[in-house]
Amino acid sequence: MQTVYYIILVPMVYLAFAVFILGTAIRLVALFRRPKNPSTLEIYPQKGSKLLGALADTFLLPTVRKHNPLLWVFLMIFHISFLLLIIGHLELLGDFRIFQVWEHEIFLGRGFIGLLLCISLLFFLFRRFVSPNRDLSVPEDYYLLILLFLTVLFGSEMDWARRWYDYGEMSVGDYREYLTTLWHLRPALPDAVTMSGHSFMLVLHVFFGNLFLMFFPFTKIMHSFLSLPVNKLRRG
Amino acid sequence: MDQNTRDELLKLFQGKLNRAMRFYLETCSRCGLCTKACHVHESMPHVKYIAAYRAEIVRRIYKKYFKGQGKAWSSVGESKELTEMALEELYEAAYSCTGCRRCMVYCPFGIDTQMIMSIAKLLLVGAKQEPEILTMLADTSIEKGKSLDVFKEGFLQGIKSLEQKVVEKWKGEADATPIPIDVEGADLLYVALAGAHSIIPAAAIFNAAGEHWTLSFFEAVNFGAFVGDPTKTKLIMNRIIDEAKRLRVKEVCICECGTAFRVMKQLSGKQPFKVVSITELHARYLREGRIHLDKNRFKGSITYHDPCQIARNAGIIDEPRYILQQLTDDFRDMSPDPKYNWCCGGGGGLVALGEETLDFRMKSSSVKADQVRETGAKILATACENCHAQLSDLNDHYKMGVDVQFLSSLVADALVHA
Repeated sequence: MQTVYYIILVPMVYLAFAVFILGTAIRLVALFRRPKNPSTLEIYPQKGSKLLGALADTFLLPTVRKHNPLLWVFLMIFHISFLLLIIGHLELLGDFRIFQVWEHEIFLGRGFIGLLLCISLLFFLFRRFVSPNRDLSVPEDYYLLILLFLTVLFGSEMDWARRWYDYGEMSVGDYREYLTTLWHLRPALPDAVTMSGHSFMLVLHVFFGNLFLMFFPFTKIMHSFLSLPVNKLRRG
Repeated sequence: MDQNTRDELLKLFQGKLNRAMRFYLETCSRCGLCTKACHVHESMPHVKYIAAYRAEIVRRIYKKYFKGQGKAWSSVGESKELTEMALEELYEAAYSCTGCRRCMVYCPFGIDTQMIMSIAKLLLVGAKQEPEILTMLADTSIEKGKSLDVFKEGFLQGIKSLEQKVVEKWKGEADATPIPIDVEGADLLYVALAGAHSIIPAAAIFNAAGEHWTLSFFEAVNFGAFVGDPTKTKLIMNRIIDEAKRLRVKEVCICECGTAFRVMKQLSGKQPFKVVSITELHARYLREGRIHLDKNRFKGSITYHDPCQIARNAGIIDEPRYILQQLTDDFRDMSPDPKYNWCCGGGGGLVALGEETLDFRMKSSSVKADQVRETGAKILATACENCHAQLSDLNDHYKMGVDVQFLSSLVADALVHA
């Protein structure tokens, strides 16, 4: 079992990041090297700055707010929570003063960010079981949501255990030690990470996270990078 | 479908994959927000009429042949082979979409379904399964461009017979030609449609405004764009560009035809002339005091249908409203925000297909009929030939009880001296 843990927590993490970074970069370069469309794809009327409009379309999702306010609430919760969790993971790698403008323990949100993320992912998943979204969905849509849900669930469970149930065998310091050694290419697995009662949660969290990263460049999740340029086309 | 045919079609597909198209094909999250955007789906709620579903029919073929995912794990994205059955699906998707781009207003990314449908249309052209009549009409336009001399005499005679009707609408200078043709150095080249309704009112207004204009030998409509054949679209457009350059005009004015205007405005590239729509020109004449209208000429309220290719897709939104303010005190806007105006249901070549599509056009546009009725207007004005034909059919079918008029005809009929 320890060998499986090691494979998931060390070589698979490197592989996942390599696939994610190289795959995304290669795909983006390939996309942006294609010739531009010969004519405008703008929608009228347009008011104000086109770039600011595209930024607002990308990050505030005004069309979703107008046409499906409930979906908009969950999308905003999801994207903001996801960003906060990325910040939380970065804070495991080192102290970033900018993130501590609002002083907090790692992770932000006392466990509730993960909870909100889980709820919004379940909402996205279950709305796909109802027509017409069911008719529009392909297996990729379900797999990605399930994968992300499992990643967030197992990651959050560790946070909940520490925050809400005083579980102290696996601390933020242990995560930090594990991640820092990975980052410095001298991987070491502290005993707390592999031998404690909740180690399986970390291993499953990392396993599903790895899969998600490896799928990323080849799926619709590329909209994370493409949303702004696509919205810019509509703004002209 | 044999391998050679498939390879040829995939080459056509590949040729459409520019940056924007790739963005559109890669980005959709199938969130379903576009469900309520399409007039066809809102009139006939079936999943095949949702914009994202239509686009997915093309996207599945894209995944199969142009994306690693489709090759490595075909089922995850339900990628699909290009077969005869796929062509049938592409036909239904492409020719149930009017290219109005209302779905772009809903989509969180702004994905252009019309552009994705242009792949479907091109594949159908490549497989010779496009609507034959559209290709025939496009070929006729191209042939006219190649051998103008054959058509010239008949065209000149036809125009001569219209001159008296122009004078009846507006009596210009005694020595002036009511419909000038082939005038080198004219300020403006007017490109009309085949039909007196597109020439007489326009000519009367040009003459009333004292415009130094000339009529094009060619008709504005671009059937190449309807059928989705980029080569034919360009050939048809180039006839007009060449004529404008030969006559050294400063402006090319496109008649009330949405597709013709958008093609000319957005695809003609940098040219020594400016492209304007006839609606813009009429608004300009009014603002400059070059023409004057009788506000009491028409009794009853007037509403205006924004043609998608002129308004939402080309930005001519304020001009028709300015004109209508000079024509009536009782103008009733159809939609609080013109970019949400429902398509008439006749675009994308559907009206040109005539009776063949009539039943579908009527059933798929009940929301448009409701929108018109809700205004309570007596006169329904528009500035596009296709829209006019479709709205007239809707008027008969749904007994809307409105008088469907071209905006330019209203202007011509209301002309008065200062």
